Amino acid sequence: MNAAVPAALLSRRSLIRAAGLAGAAALIPLTGCTAAGGPRNGITTLRFMQNKPEVVAYFNQVIKDFEALNPDIHVVQDFNEGNFVPSLVRNDPPDVVTRGFATETAEFVRKGIFADLSDLPVAKTVDPKFQDLVNSWGQYKGHETSALPFSVAAAGVIYNRDLFAAHGVAVPTTWDAFVAACETFKAAGITPIYGTFKDAWTLRQGAFDYVTGGMLDVGAFFKDLMAKGARISQQAPESFSNHYASSLPKILQLASFSQNGAASKNYADGNAAFAKGQAAMYLQGPWALSQLVQANQDIQLGTFPLPVTNNPEETKVRVNVDMALSITRNTPNRAAAERFLNYLLEPSVVNTYNEKNAAFSPLINAPADSNPHLSGVAAHVGEGRYYQGAGTYFPPSIPMNNYIQSFIYNKNGEQFLSTVDAEWRRVAERTAV
Amino acid sequence: MTITSRAARTAPPSQHAPRPSTAKATRSGSRIDPTYYWMILPVLALFAFFISLPALVGVFFSLTNYAGYGDWKFIGLMNYVNIFKDPAVLQSYVFTFVFALTTTVVVNVVSLAIALGLNAKIKWRTGIRTVFFIPMVLSALIVSFVFNYLFSNTLPVLAERYGMTPLATSILANENLAWIAIVVVTVWQAAPGATIIYLAGLQSVPSEVYEAADLDGAGTWRQFTSLTLPLILGYLVINVILGFKGFLGTYEIIVGLTGGGPGMATQSVAMRIFSGFTGGDYAYQMANAVIYFLITLLISVIQLRIIQRRGVSL
Repeated sequence: MNAAVPAALLSRRSLIRAAGLAGAAALIPLTGCTAAGGPRNGITTLRFMQNKPEVVAYFNQVIKDFEALNPDIHVVQDFNEGNFVPSLVRNDPPDVVTRGFATETAEFVRKGIFADLSDLPVAKTVDPKFQDLVNSWGQYKGHETSALPFSVAAAGVIYNRDLFAAHGVAVPTTWDAFVAACETFKAAGITPIYGTFKDAWTLRQGAFDYVTGGMLDVGAFFKDLMAKGARISQQAPESFSNHYASSLPKILQLASFSQNGAASKNYADGNAAFAKGQAAMYLQGPWALSQLVQANQDIQLGTFPLPVTNNPEETKVRVNVDMALSITRNTPNRAAAERFLNYLLEPSVVNTYNEKNAAFSPLINAPADSNPHLSGVAAHVGEGRYYQGAGTYFPPSIPMNNYIQSFIYNKNGEQFLSTVDAEWRRVAERTAV
Repeated sequence: MTITSRAARTAPPSQHAPRPSTAKATRSGSRIDPTYYWMILPVLALFAFFISLPALVGVFFSLTNYAGYGDWKFIGLMNYVNIFKDPAVLQSYVFTFVFALTTTVVVNVVSLAIALGLNAKIKWRTGIRTVFFIPMVLSALIVSFVFNYLFSNTLPVLAERYGMTPLATSILANENLAWIAIVVVTVWQAAPGATIIYLAGLQSVPSEVYEAADLDGAGTWRQFTSLTLPLILGYLVINVILGFKGFLGTYEIIVGLTGGGPGMATQSVAMRIFSGFTGGDYAYQMANAVIYFLITLLISVIQLRIIQRRGVSL
């Protein structure tokens, strides 16, 4: 509209010329980018993009050590993961990438963004059961290895050891024992579980993922669902309505053990309150541990996997591949990138990282995790009794966090599941074409 | 800018004879100083390059299944068809329009009241005026984070102490009430701007008309409805139109207060569109953006008509 007034005054030809110039100007930066890469003065510069801004210092040290051993390679660290998609659009992606492995990364794998790493000798040092966590999301061309796990995080119920001891509660191994423990704390006037419903992701990560993962075979469910594609109806046996209905009452029961006013507390409030001992349990992953210890040096913490059934043998823990290493397919520095990746997967680098960051090393024969905060879940991780959270399977275009939050507030499970079914089908329809 | 030039160009035909001839003279071109073109050209080029061109690229991609990266192909109008079948998107439209209408009404009532007060001969008028305009210079995001804290922590504690149980849980956590909190904060932020316009309007009303009305025995309320309101009607129209247009694009206050929650209760259209950039739903939300653009364009045209009929020029 604004352009209409002056346009009448300008001749049409000059307008076209102006548009042509503008178009040419737009192309200049694009061609400039592709010229980058390749060795200069015999030194190859690698761009390394990692997804955790809080561990920049660790990787700076790793890079320094690596460069001392490999004087012909210079590595630049970029911890702004938001640059990754724009770099793909410009066709100038970083050479080595770490990403959390879930739906979004799986989508990159499907589009063939990453190189095949299956021939690298270092790939044989990764425990196959952890490699399966990555492969379960689908492999490019059905057989390629697009990413090698670097760090596996296990999330369960964080509990206050002092409060458990003071009230004579043992770590529960069955659902009934867990409910009884919650009732004990409630009777003693202590909030059983600190709820932070205001941050909807905490509900998805906690109550929703723990209960569904603990009682259902989530991985197989999503495999069937994705195989069905857009041809999925609410009545189909593969639907959410059919599969998840049994888990919903337990999710609501978990939520009901939270303090009054949980709806107006967020993750930061939760960390502060739990560190002060205002609740016995907290449904959070290892990322909260350092925050809790920071807020209260003396707090005695432990983690146990939420028992959702009454058979202790069936109890599983939620894991996620927090960091997985990849090399982008189009990198001009493939050889250098492989050398750097080999170095990152050396036991001294990968095991030290996981030891420091309350996570599990994916290497075969990695030393047992000695972190007292994680002793309750270490056995489950070691034996492969784990699942990847159901919430991580949803594409970001489905606002799953909000739907779960809505369900916790209205308690209308039927509506919740039919909404998710319909939303899943719509997204499948429009991404399938 | 557009509206001025539009109004200026469309106004003459409705006037009497001499005007069209002068318009014709300027249009012949020979007398126009080329400097004017040089003043317009840079803006035109920037506008075309940074707004029109990207918008056209967006329209183009709304006809594809582009995820923001990787391969894509044309899918015709499928995205548009799917938008109309998506209850989450339709809900965001309902929310946005209800919100914009309510906020427009409340902002204008509140700011007119404030303007009347600030225009009266009260003590410390300049100081009080300054205080009232402070919300305007604060960033909306910061304001909403502060209010978020007040609604979530301070208000429930106060309500509990004084026994007002309905307010004892945060209204931001209530799916049916959260939008009211957003209206309150938006009004708090937007009222000063509207008040300035009303103050300018009130100061343009000559005091003689009130003196005459006093002599005729008109009361305060009668003076307001029969004199003040008609005389500042142009300012009211401007406030309503600018306000409504602005509130349709509401984004940062919602991000700071509820993030679109609880559940899906406060998702505005702008938030849904923006989610396409992170969610791999780029083309789909582009189609949404095109539809929203057409709707706001239609509303703008209607409003422009109303302005012209009222003889107001911005």
